[in-house]
Order: sequence, then structure tokens, then C-alpha cells
Amino acid sequence: MEKLLPPDIIKQIREVFAQVKNPVALLFFSSKKNCDYCAEIQQLLEELTQLSDLLHLSIHDIDAEADLAALYKVTGKAPALVIAAQEGDQITDFGIRYLGIPSGHEFTTLIQDIILVSGRDSGLSAQTRQYLKSLTKPLHLQVYVTPT
Amino acid sequence: MFAMENPEMILAEGVEAMEFAELSEKYHISGVPDTIINDAAGRVVGAVPEINLLAEIQRAMNK
Repeated sequence: MEKLLPPDIIKQIREVFAQVKNPVALLFFSSKKNCDYCAEIQQLLEELTQLSDLLHLSIHDIDAEADLAALYKVTGKAPALVIAAQEGDQITDFGIRYLGIPSGHEFTTLIQDIILVSGRDSGLSAQTRQYLKSLTKPLHLQVYVTPT
Repeated sequence: MFAMENPEMILAEGVEAMEFAELSEKYHISGVPDTIINDAAGRVVGAVPEINLLAEIQRAMNK
């Protein structure tokens, strides 16, 4: 299959991925139903994760692996990408998801998210951190975006 | 990145509005970024400083 990432972009991504500090797990949940772009997203993620030894991609079927999808709260949300920390075989979920096609501007955001998760640091202010850590009720944030 | 601080309680999703058209319609998304907090208990339109997002989250969580 023809590559999705052109050579000049691959070069740029390799440079940015020099900032990846610790292993990151990318769990992609695809679906055979109603997912026109799942094959393309999978290919894009495969090409992307080949550019750093610290990135680990796993591919899952949201229906066939319903228990895993439920564990990661992505049931019915394909195409879904979980961006998590990995230490050895252990995956630590940071609650970060991207739902949809990570193209255009969102591809840049994905790369930034990978680097942040690899640093294990949100970069937030002390005040924000303190408040978020104190939460005892669920907080669900959805940031709606478009590729352009 | 807010979720990283407390993943037991926080779920942060980037949602591509066109792929998830039903959700976008539900929340009447017309411009992006648009941040929906706890099923529209709170909302922040546009890219805002962290402190503003925090304030809206606090308002939504205290409802």
C-alpha cells in the first residue's frame, strides 16, 4: 500500500519524536461497522509509531473486544484512540482519548499529546492540578474539533 | 491534559466533529474548539487560557 506520510513529513516527525521521553501505548479501536476511515487511520498510526522505538501500537476491534472497549470507555465510539503510558507490559490509562480521524491540525495535536504523555507531566498550573486531584465525582471533558 | 492529573475521575476526549455528527448536533457545535463539560453542565467555546477552563469546570462540577 502507498505510504500516507510523505518523506519530508516523516523527517519532521522524527525530529519532534526526539522529545519522546518514556514509552507510550496507543490503543486503536476500530470497527467493521460504520467506520469508513478505520483502515486509513490504522495505516497512519502504523506509519507514525514506526518512527519511534518508544511508541507501542495495538489494534483492537471495538465489537470483538467489547470487554476491553468497555474498560477503556470507548464502547460505540470507533474510531477511537487511547493514548496511555506504558512501563514494561503495564499500561497506565491517563484518561486521554481521540475519537475520529486524526488528520490535518489534529495530527499535530496527536503528536503533541504523545509527547506530553511520554513526559508523564500535564504541564498544568499548581492550582489546576490541586483542584483536579481533589475531584471525587467524575469529570467528562469533550473537546470538539475539526481537521482543518 | 487535564485528565492526566486524576484519570480515575477524569475522561478527556478529543472528538472529531464531522465523524461524530450525532454528538455534534446534540450539543449544537458550530465552531471549534468547543469544550463540553459533563454533558453540557458546562461549556467553553474557543481556545481559552487554562484558568478560564478551570473556572468553568468548577462551575459545572458545583451544579
